[in-house]
Amino acid sequence: MNEARLTRRALIAGAGTAALAAPLLAQQAGRMIDLALPGGPSLRPTTPAFPGKGEMIVQRIRPPLLEAPMEVFREGVITPNDRHFVRWNWDMPTSITAAEHRVAIGGAVTKAVSLTLDEVAAAGEHFSVVAVNQCAGNGRGLSTPRVTGTQWGNGAMACAKWTGVRLRDVLAKAGVAEGAKRVRYAGLDVPLTDGAPQFIKSLPMDIAMRDDVLVAWAMNDEPLPILHGFPLRIVVPGWFSTYWVKMLSTIEVLTGEDESYYVAKSYRMPAQPITPADKDFDTVPIEAMPPRAFITSHADGAAVAKGKPLVLEGMAFGGDAALERVDLVGAGWSIPCSLGPDEHGPYAFRRWQVELPSVSGDLTQIGVRATNVKGAVQPETLAWNPSGYARNVIERITLRAQ
Amino acid sequence: MRASLILPLLALLAACDAAPKASFADASITLPDDPIDLPEGPGRDAVLANCTACHSPSTLLQQPKVSREKWEEIAGKMIKVYKAPVDPAAIPDIAGYMVHVQAQPEARQ
Repeated sequence: MNEARLTRRALIAGAGTAALAAPLLAQQAGRMIDLALPGGPSLRPTTPAFPGKGEMIVQRIRPPLLEAPMEVFREGVITPNDRHFVRWNWDMPTSITAAEHRVAIGGAVTKAVSLTLDEVAAAGEHFSVVAVNQCAGNGRGLSTPRVTGTQWGNGAMACAKWTGVRLRDVLAKAGVAEGAKRVRYAGLDVPLTDGAPQFIKSLPMDIAMRDDVLVAWAMNDEPLPILHGFPLRIVVPGWFSTYWVKMLSTIEVLTGEDESYYVAKSYRMPAQPITPADKDFDTVPIEAMPPRAFITSHADGAAVAKGKPLVLEGMAFGGDAALERVDLVGAGWSIPCSLGPDEHGPYAFRRWQVELPSVSGDLTQIGVRATNVKGAVQPETLAWNPSGYARNVIERITLRAQ
Repeated sequence: MRASLILPLLALLAACDAAPKASFADASITLPDDPIDLPEGPGRDAVLANCTACHSPSTLLQQPKVSREKWEEIAGKMIKVYKAPVDPAAIPDIAGYMVHVQAQPEARQ
């Protein structure tokens, strides 16, 4: 028995005791949702028991992994904060005193500084962007063959308005030195075993200095909830959520490559397509998101009226570039869908709709295919990878004509 | 009369135009407990002693079926990468338990 385990156990026991007043999940459990994960286990409980959250699918209780049921995406393009998915790599503090929080900036800078929240907020012009926040592993549980890790359905995505200051303005408080290559940052979530890698991520300099990469404190005009990274989180529109570090507390400017675990070893994809049998292959980091589209008006297996017109609806997003088009596709055919208004810019959800004049029979394995303005198109087949990252295969459903 | 009405309105609009001031209040939450226990089975003690400190039972029980070798590899990764205090001698029991629980039919509620 070693000390790290004792420490961890003590923490768990302490948390349990302190949390006697905590809502008991079992007593507040909602319905069970079937995520249709091939081969199962596929049933997940839902609960409204997490602070500030509505009914969410529980993927893990501590640290929390909460997924939005797909019905959340049935209307509108802004995901309410209480239905925004939650994902923590390590345990995070559950209480933060604003006046004591600091963001330390060091590394290759002119002058290392430690900023209060007010100093961060005063670092530059306040800026808002509406952007999709999506876990790199969204849809992992749907991989075939299956892969281990958090078994998300497709609900680890959301779209919100983020407000803060530009990361480059915060960096300017310390002054970026000559030869800077990357900006690395970390939050307050830390591993509880000694020597385990901290969840730190970094951006290449050109991305870090972008006009719309933020240190954000507001989400849909509300202060960031603790579960979403209070008091500050990084926002990188168009890039996967893994770069959107929460509870931001340190920033480090690097003059070389980032060799830390979550950049150099984890959150990586095969550089070229592989098969599940392949063992040795080059990898590249998960960065920009590809386009995706979802049918939200009908679930797989739903009944539709034979001989009647049928309206299908849903939402789509372009990933790291604006959505260009959405097509309804079946075996050997495709029909263009009409896009809803471009309300919130290139990184937001957008609605789509298509009307079929008459349903003549079952609509077997239909799906919607998004294309973005850079020409990225959702593929027919899954680009399988051993960590289940960046899923954007066309999602298929079958509708029964009755 | 009319001018006196318009002036306060203009002042109000100007206030709205300015970027809202960021203000930071203290924040605190209480998270729910994890009530799901691990089902009985050979190797359960090894899992309780080595795995559940970091992994919720709920997460353990939601993993897809993979081979005994894959579970052994995963337990080994916990030691090597995450420096988890897992007893290497317990790995066969841990893998055995995971294979056992994954062979059971999924509980329907």
